[in-house]
Amino acid sequence: MSQLASPAHPILLLALLLALPVCGAGPAAAHAIVVTSEPTAGATLAAAPAQVSIRFNSRLDHERSRLLLIGADNAQTALAIAAEGDPVVLAAPLPPGLAPGAWRLRWQVLAIDGHITRGDIPFTLKAP
Amino acid sequence: MEQFLDLYGFASVILHAVELVARTVLLGSVLFWVLLAVPLGRLLPPGDAGRLHAIARRTVILGGIASLAATFLLGLLGFGALQATLDLPSGALLGADFILFTGLDLLAMLVLLALALPREAPGRDRRLALGGAALLVLLAVTFGSHAIARTEGRAMLLASTALHQAGAAFWLGGLPCLIAALRLTPPSARRVGQRYSLLAAGGVGLILLGSAGFWFGFIGSVEAVYGTAYGSMAATKTIMLVLLLALGAMNYRLLHRMAPTPGGTLRLRRFIEAEMAIGIAVLAVAASLTSVPPAADLPDDRVTWAEITERFTPAWPRLTSPDHADLAIPALQAQLDAEWQQRQAAQRPQAFTPGEGLLPPRNATDIAWSEYNHHWAGIMVLLVGFAALLDATGRVKLARHWPLVFLGLAAFLLIRSDPEAWPLGDIGLLESLRDPEVVQHKLASLLVVAFAVSEWSVRLDLLRGRVRFVFPLAMLAGGVLLLAHTHAISNIKEAQLIELSHLPLALLAVVAGCARWTELRGPPELARVGRWLWPACLIGIGLLLLIYREA
Repeated sequence: MSQLASPAHPILLLALLLALPVCGAGPAAAHAIVVTSEPTAGATLAAAPAQVSIRFNSRLDHERSRLLLIGADNAQTALAIAAEGDPVVLAAPLPPGLAPGAWRLRWQVLAIDGHITRGDIPFTLKAP
Repeated sequence: MEQFLDLYGFASVILHAVELVARTVLLGSVLFWVLLAVPLGRLLPPGDAGRLHAIARRTVILGGIASLAATFLLGLLGFGALQATLDLPSGALLGADFILFTGLDLLAMLVLLALALPREAPGRDRRLALGGAALLVLLAVTFGSHAIARTEGRAMLLASTALHQAGAAFWLGGLPCLIAALRLTPPSARRVGQRYSLLAAGGVGLILLGSAGFWFGFIGSVEAVYGTAYGSMAATKTIMLVLLLALGAMNYRLLHRMAPTPGGTLRLRRFIEAEMAIGIAVLAVAASLTSVPPAADLPDDRVTWAEITERFTPAWPRLTSPDHADLAIPALQAQLDAEWQQRQAAQRPQAFTPGEGLLPPRNATDIAWSEYNHHWAGIMVLLVGFAALLDATGRVKLARHWPLVFLGLAAFLLIRSDPEAWPLGDIGLLESLRDPEVVQHKLASLLVVAFAVSEWSVRLDLLRGRVRFVFPLAMLAGGVLLLAHTHAISNIKEAQLIELSHLPLALLAVVAGCARWTELRGPPELARVGRWLWPACLIGIGLLLLIYREA
């Protein structure tokens, strides 16, 4: 593993202080972050909920956001995001008959201010 | 596609900083033109009035072109990122709010440019139109800012954003026009400067008003200042604003005491150049701030004051390297394992930006290796600082060879930065160059060599001319980039603690760059101060590196 793993690493940055920088700044973060979610990250559920919802700290552009359900085999299903409702909540019904096992909600949101953010919410469905 | 997304985060911060600087200059030069150059021009000799008008017009055009390009590219980048990740037709993407506000912004800037094209001085209607178009740019930017995405206090935050940006335009945006105007005949230059100080004072007031709104809407507590990236960046920006205010106050005194001679404006020009450099650094922080969540939104997992004092309590530097093949140090490893498990158990889901990547897992040996690197680098920078101080006394001839110490630093970086690769690791040089990180590190080493040799040649009088400015400009560029670098979107304590060590490094780099610039450009009484100041900053950087710790 590199000991200067990030462009923000102080020694590399020291080099930047001393030489014309070519490495530039590191990647940027953005605004929209998760405040709460149903299910919560890492939750173990006895049964699949009828719908999932994620509350953010920013107003969202629902039409240009995306929610995927990813199974243990990495198969992806796009969930239909509810267009109306709370401007900071991304909600979608789950398909019926989810098998027990590890699942992951992969979200990508466009905040009204134009920032794009992504994240994963893993959860597990218990066998009956 | 993944490569494009990797580029997204990096490019958006850089473009945002460029856009912010260009737009501030555009709006500031419009204000300078409309509120200063035209009314004052009537009181100046015809030659000076014409030159002042030409200066303002040219700056509006250049600022407009730069602002247009940066805004267009930033919009294009966001559009491209959406197109790469969503299965939506382009037409649907074009309806996004940020695209619409970008379009409005571009349109307003085109109108500004069109209004600036005629060469004759603007009459009343044209001045009103220029002011209106500038206001439209400000509104488009305000309604495309983070304030619009808030659910609470939106009106206050929109007003704060507008006031803050307008204040920056009044104060900092007109500086390029002002510094050019100081080349007018000395009496006219003094009148321009005195009038400008009124605009700048108004700008400071607007900035403070906007800052108050940001405090209540985005920060909210002292704990958030040091506990979050947003808070500590905002504090850094405040420190730089205090520096700017100090420079502004000195300018004010000079302007009201300045002798109406060519020599009288020289000191003022140096202060304004420093103001511009620090202004760019402030705007780089502002660009960074717009890309992190407000501190108020991250109430959990903040760095505590106790953790900061524990981390920054000086410890004896790690001057012996862990063995390359060494195993983890058991106690430290146990602590890291416990921290890792704690993070895994956290309920708050993490968020990231496309291309943000993840912090690599580290073990105790990695940390010991890295701290050793920092501490030896610190010793070398300290050596440079002390040698430069000796050089400043003019009594120790050998001290003028201080740039050669950087050759040692370059060799150190080359050997130690990538322990898995040549020359320490098993991976060969050519093979290791497939990793962009390794390429960056090797390139950085080469650049330090180039810098050291060029500065050494300047010291020996082998090279003259503009190559002298490589050193101060590199310090400034490094400081600005350091201020605009990566921030974790969630509260990752380790990243925040590293951030807290970076910010003073960046501040010292910016001050050192300004000081060396002033030393090179004079006048003699300011050069004398600069000659002592920048080595002192290097010593500060060296000391910070010496106490740097990662656990």
